[in-house]
Amino acid sequence: MTEQKDKNLGRRQFLTRTGKAAISIAAAGTLSFLLYDTKGPSRYSAKSKDLVTLPDFSIPHKAGDTISIVEGPDRKQTVAKAIELLGGIERFVRQGEMVAIKPNVAFASPPMLGATAQPELVAQVVTLCYKAGAAQVIVTDNPINDPASCFTLSGIGKAASQAGAKVILPREYHFRHTSLEGGKLIKNWPVFYKPFENVDKLIGIAPVKHHARAGASMTMKNFYGLLGGRRNIFHQDINTIIAELAMMVKPTLVILDGTEVMMTNGPTGGSVSDLKRANTLFASCDMVAADSFGCSLLNLKSADLPYLAKAEAAGAGTTDYQALKPKMGTV
Amino acid sequence: MDSTKGKPKKLESVVSFSLLAVLIIITITILLTQSDYDMTRFGVGATISTSGTDTISISSLNPANYQKLSEETYLADNLYEKINGKAPLYIESGFVKLSTARFVNKNDESLWMELFIFDMEGIKNAFSVYSVQRRPDVEFLPDMQFGYRTNDAPYFVHGKYYVEFIASSKSDELFKAMMETAQKIQMNLPINVNTQIPELSFFPEENLVAGSHKLYLESAFGFEGFTDIFTAQYKFDDEIITAFLSRKDSAAEAIKSFESYHKFLIENGGEEAPSNNPNVKYVDFYGTLEIVTVAGPFVFGIHEAENPQLASKVEKMILNKLREMGKIPNK
Repeated sequence: MTEQKDKNLGRRQFLTRTGKAAISIAAAGTLSFLLYDTKGPSRYSAKSKDLVTLPDFSIPHKAGDTISIVEGPDRKQTVAKAIELLGGIERFVRQGEMVAIKPNVAFASPPMLGATAQPELVAQVVTLCYKAGAAQVIVTDNPINDPASCFTLSGIGKAASQAGAKVILPREYHFRHTSLEGGKLIKNWPVFYKPFENVDKLIGIAPVKHHARAGASMTMKNFYGLLGGRRNIFHQDINTIIAELAMMVKPTLVILDGTEVMMTNGPTGGSVSDLKRANTLFASCDMVAADSFGCSLLNLKSADLPYLAKAEAAGAGTTDYQALKPKMGTV
Repeated sequence: MDSTKGKPKKLESVVSFSLLAVLIIITITILLTQSDYDMTRFGVGATISTSGTDTISISSLNPANYQKLSEETYLADNLYEKINGKAPLYIESGFVKLSTARFVNKNDESLWMELFIFDMEGIKNAFSVYSVQRRPDVEFLPDMQFGYRTNDAPYFVHGKYYVEFIASSKSDELFKAMMETAQKIQMNLPINVNTQIPELSFFPEENLVAGSHKLYLESAFGFEGFTDIFTAQYKFDDEIITAFLSRKDSAAEAIKSFESYHKFLIENGGEEAPSNNPNVKYVDFYGTLEIVTVAGPFVFGIHEAENPQLASKVEKMILNKLREMGKIPNK
């Protein structure tokens, strides 16, 4: 039957079938051409002209208006008081400004375990920023674990959204390469950049935690989340990378939460037994000073954390927090 | 030309449509299966051990009324993606593989737990990571060789595995579910390794703080050369004495370890105290007493004691115990 059918194939049918086949081949070829990646998979490198530098978000500060320490059990109250002691939120956020908040959202862990920033604290800072007239507040991080799980299980995604912030999960196109001037480790390295490109102010929020490798994880270590790529290699030289983060990132303000401190088994913890209530919260324009003060909650001295001295030597701040005349408060 | 010659017959149409229908059904089935497939059915990445003889599916460990939300597997090269700064602790202790699964209560999605099963290759490695992370003031689990609970979760060693959980909240319901999973692990996960740690029996039981044993595989007391060191605590009224012990491969190895640790203490500010036995060193280390003894293949002693009399007493207790057990000669 087929043989007879082919014998009876008319010229018109032949041309129609040939035309359809040609169109199919052309379509497939065009699609392949459009999708073809001439460069192939890239490694961690970019040309010098493509390197970016994170903006400087810091504001002028001097002794007496740089760091505040507030004691109290309620984070919403202590953070509000700590910021008020430094001159109020209006000193840090102006009408119409874009604000980025970088909480520690490193792990897909419930807030009860204290491995991440507390949702109510993040929400309160978002609220304060809007109160000061911020045009938009974004909340973002580049977590260790799956980002969606981290923002969901930590409660930060929901709390930030409910307070009106835009939550941004990291995407590949958010990363650009950067090199830190004078840096030993941050050289042509991918950094979480796009969400911060057009914002005016940057606020970091970190809990006080023991860290098996670094000794302590506080405001400076929090910005480890800005690094992309195989950043775990930096654990081999953890003190240098944390010091370089303090040089690379110049936030407007950092909040260091020592309401409950992870005393052991950090940075992930895993049990409420790892936590100790200290009811202390710091607000600071100087990360080095905040961490130098904050480590006392872990029964450490600033000399116990070599990255603090390295950051100080690089001009990122001072370990002599008393010289900054901290403002103290209780709520 | 007869235009009906190119048209398919009715039978051909029926066959063609039937084949198309079958293809559509296959496509839909593939898509549905792919959206929710169980990797364990394919033997990929979802079993707990790397050994072909003792694998079980992590999916089989879910407690009643809980369903598995997700599961993950990590090896040494990506463990940091799950536990970040805590990864070196495991990797330096013989880590092979981490299997995790998150289970959620079918009636209350706020109740969830995550199971972590670390394959540590051998029981000593598993005991080491268990013991150095053990939280203070815990309740030991009576049916387990090495296991305890905090207010929120159980932690235990099962052969070469170290097992821990994180809980979404402090909940009796969740704890019950975690213990159900723990029992399934104990009953169904074969271990196929020696579960004895002889060194623990070398510590005298008089005044021993139950469950206080720890094993430092590397860098005990901050000294890189001090490996495979067991410690235990002894309580006399309100005073705690920390004893240490290590069994080396030979007496020569023990002498080498004894001498290098003594040298480390002196080089780091320790002051030699008088001793009439060349195999026993006393070092005043910033106001605390360090005793280092060598006998046969054993190095043992006392770490950072504040009471010299009690320190000497415990050191002699260990010496006598080793003699009683016939591990070293009486003279």
